Amino acid sequence: MRRPYGKAKGHIFRDHQSRTSVEMDPQALMMKKPTWRQSVVAVAFLLSLSLAIFFVVRAVRPLIYWHYHQDEPIRGWMTMGYVAHSYHVPPHVLHQALGLPDKPPDKRPLREIAKAQNRSLDEIRTVLLEAIVQARRSNPPSPSPPTNPGASP
Amino acid sequence: MSITDQLLEAVLLYGLPVLFGVILIASVGVPFPISLTLVAAGSFVKQGEMKLVPVIIAASIAAILGDQIGYGLSRWGGRSLVDRITRRLGGAAKIKRAEAVSKKWGGTGIFFSRWLVTALGPWLNFTSGMAHYPWRRFIVWGAPGQVLWVVLYVMLGYIFSDRVQYIAEILGNLAWAILALTAAIILGWKLIRYYRLSSSVSA
Repeated sequence: MRRPYGKAKGHIFRDHQSRTSVEMDPQALMMKKPTWRQSVVAVAFLLSLSLAIFFVVRAVRPLIYWHYHQDEPIRGWMTMGYVAHSYHVPPHVLHQALGLPDKPPDKRPLREIAKAQNRSLDEIRTVLLEAIVQARRSNPPSPSPPTNPGASP
Repeated sequence: MSITDQLLEAVLLYGLPVLFGVILIASVGVPFPISLTLVAAGSFVKQGEMKLVPVIIAASIAAILGDQIGYGLSRWGGRSLVDRITRRLGGAAKIKRAEAVSKKWGGTGIFFSRWLVTALGPWLNFTSGMAHYPWRRFIVWGAPGQVLWVVLYVMLGYIFSDRVQYIAEILGNLAWAILALTAAIILGWKLIRYYRLSSSVSA
């Protein structure tokens, strides 16, 4: 599919090389002047190496702040069980806050609950965060303080 | 509402069939946020909302099946198209060379692209099919890689079940880092060969 294009480029490339080789000593050309293809490979190499470093740094950064940023932003897909699990509070606290029976545990995603209660997800999120702060105040569980995890991106 | 939220809600509401479908479609090549889905499934297992063995079996079968679809499409659909193009425009030699490279490195590439360099997975399905890489060997290398991928991600979700989003974010960045590093290693190797070639010519 790319053949004609590549062929045309090959011609240009070869012409260019033969012209320069007439002007210069071929051995010196081999040593000093990298070919067009070599420069492209070198640039691509540097580019991929810097990309690798960039993504390694991005991957490692959350590990450094592991203990400080324990609280995940509350999202619509989460269940109350997951939020309770993630925030280390008893699930019944969250069920109570939303006025739902905690037995059997409500397994719907929060967005479904919001829809059923005719509330926005933000409202649900605020209610849950307040309940979490309350629960932690009365029963401080972990070294991580209740930060402001609701600020989702 | 993002596609991630929709996917995870669907997995929670409808369970295994949705998980199966999502992974199947993603394995063919549709860019779904599949790492987060698998990690979240691991967390759901930990919380008792899903069962470990069915999750791993369903996800593995879906991933392996998705690979075969990608492979099959390119082998029996894409190949005839390529043949028609090369007949008209030439370039059959290049295709032959690609086939040779695929036969030589195919197995290792297929295995590692299943769980380590996952961004290359669907792409390698297509090139393997296109290059007529033997189907049996494609399965022999691909299937263990997919099972490893599923077990790895689900277990990470299970172990770090309270911070699914962080784990998925780290895994996503790591996947890109590994992809870039693989490219850097291949290109660096090429550069060294150029250097050796030019110094041996001038010597």
